[in-house]
Amino acid sequence: MDRGIDTRPGRRTAAVRFAGVVHRYGRRIALDGLDLTVDRGETVALLGANGAGKSTTMALLLGLLRPQTGIVEVLGDTPRRAVAEGRVGAMLQTGTGCGLPPGVRVADALAMVRRLYRAPAPFEEIVTRAGIGPLLRRRTHQLSGGQAQRVRFALAIAGGPELLVLDEPTSAMDVAGRRSFWAMIRRFGDEGRAVVFATHHLAEADEVAQRVIVVHHGRVVADGPGATLKAAVAARRVRFVADRPDLAVLEQLAGVTDVGVCGPVVTLDSLDADATVRALVRAGVDFRDLEVSGAAMEDVFVALTEESARRAVVGL
Amino acid sequence: MTGTTAYVRFEVGRLLRSWKFLVITVGFPVVFYMLFLGDRSAGRVIDGTVPWRTYLMVSMCGFGTLVAGLSAGGGRLAAERAAGWDRQLQVTPLPAWSYVVTKTLATLIVALPVVGLVELVGATFGGVQLPVWQWVALTLTMWLSAVPFAALGVLVGLTVGTEAAFPVVTALMFVVGYFGGLFNPVSTMPGPLRVVARVLPSYHGQALGLAVVDGRGVAGTDVLVLVASAAALATAVTARYRRRHLRPQIS
Repeated sequence: MDRGIDTRPGRRTAAVRFAGVVHRYGRRIALDGLDLTVDRGETVALLGANGAGKSTTMALLLGLLRPQTGIVEVLGDTPRRAVAEGRVGAMLQTGTGCGLPPGVRVADALAMVRRLYRAPAPFEEIVTRAGIGPLLRRRTHQLSGGQAQRVRFALAIAGGPELLVLDEPTSAMDVAGRRSFWAMIRRFGDEGRAVVFATHHLAEADEVAQRVIVVHHGRVVADGPGATLKAAVAARRVRFVADRPDLAVLEQLAGVTDVGVCGPVVTLDSLDADATVRALVRAGVDFRDLEVSGAAMEDVFVALTEESARRAVVGL
Repeated sequence: MTGTTAYVRFEVGRLLRSWKFLVITVGFPVVFYMLFLGDRSAGRVIDGTVPWRTYLMVSMCGFGTLVAGLSAGGGRLAAERAAGWDRQLQVTPLPAWSYVVTKTLATLIVALPVVGLVELVGATFGGVQLPVWQWVALTLTMWLSAVPFAALGVLVGLTVGTEAAFPVVTALMFVVGYFGGLFNPVSTMPGPLRVVARVLPSYHGQALGLAVVDGRGVAGTDVLVLVASAAALATAVTARYRRRHLRPQIS
């Protein structure tokens, strides 16, 4: 009840709530008035470049740091209590280490961690979910990077958490490892649990999360479904080949925000691809090999973070 | 509480399985003791009352527990931190005090066989003869006197990185050992060094052990300094753990 947090039973609270959170390390400001909410059952990506404030956000979320200003609430409680009660599971960044105790059998580590929780998930269920059946008899130092990450995932879900927090979980994995890892996370999130993960891989944020929160210089600069974020910034790209492209005509087409001509290849950035293509036909442009694509998440990211002062909260 | 029990069992199991570590940690003080045995005349008497052989055995018990505390606490913990395992534990319901207490306990468990083996060597090669109750009392005394060493080891493990752990542990072994009078009686040291010895748990642990063997009463100041240094180090360890707790890898 301290810090004005409502813990009345039966009240449906958000999985995560940050309100006006400011955090400084000495003179450096890491979080500059961060506001965000994650609902139960949501899978949300925290997207940002290195130094954007992602890890500080994660540390606050897990009660490893206390907010200097503002409110951080996890599952309707303080982060520390939510973690102490075993309602939160997490995979943190481990730097060069594997994040596991040296020289221990995987089965023993999992059995021990399960016992730290009052109501752990069934052992077999955890093993199946994380796909670590074949690894149980191995010792931790014999695991590959991807295998270690699976084991750490198993440890993170050992308590059957309502909220799963992952800080750049795939940084040490290859492409195939990443894919199967995210499939695992998706299945976990599909069962009504909240998942929050930090990443600077734009594709991951886009593919895995239902919602992407872009953090830059310690503030939320964009918040919405990946598709909405893309829509916010030059939604579509229309490409075609034309023999003698006429720049003056192309610039006047409906929806077009930018025209790029490289020899016979024309690239149009458009806010309304349908209107642009119709206008293209009406204008009698002799095009071929027409291609319409969504703007890459990379472009969205660059556009959103170019101006750190700008606040582009969309999709809410 | 069941969580703490599970964690204690896990940690002790880990220690007992790493037999290479155990052999070296337990063996080193024993070998060290044997080197000393060959070197000195058995007839020497320390401080007017204590035979050299008794002084040496008690000192080597102290040195052995110091080695055990520093390497089991310091070296192993630093390696574990480098792997990021402590951070994983921090985001489980395991309380901070439980982590600190378990680490200290596990370290103490390594110290017990060290005391036993040094005493065995003392009884067989060292020419020390004691009634059974004194062996038992001495074992317990030397073991409990190891609490500050265990806490010191954990403090080192929580503070320095893997590369620094080895030199720091080695330096502390000899500084705390030498200045605490474990290699040379404090009474033979120059005045200022005798003052240094008075604040070291190694000196007071040795004094307690000698008191038990001598049959003379246990001095309150020895107990007091040991308890105070254990409390101070435990406080430092907890503060250090919290501090680490509160400082994430920033990125």
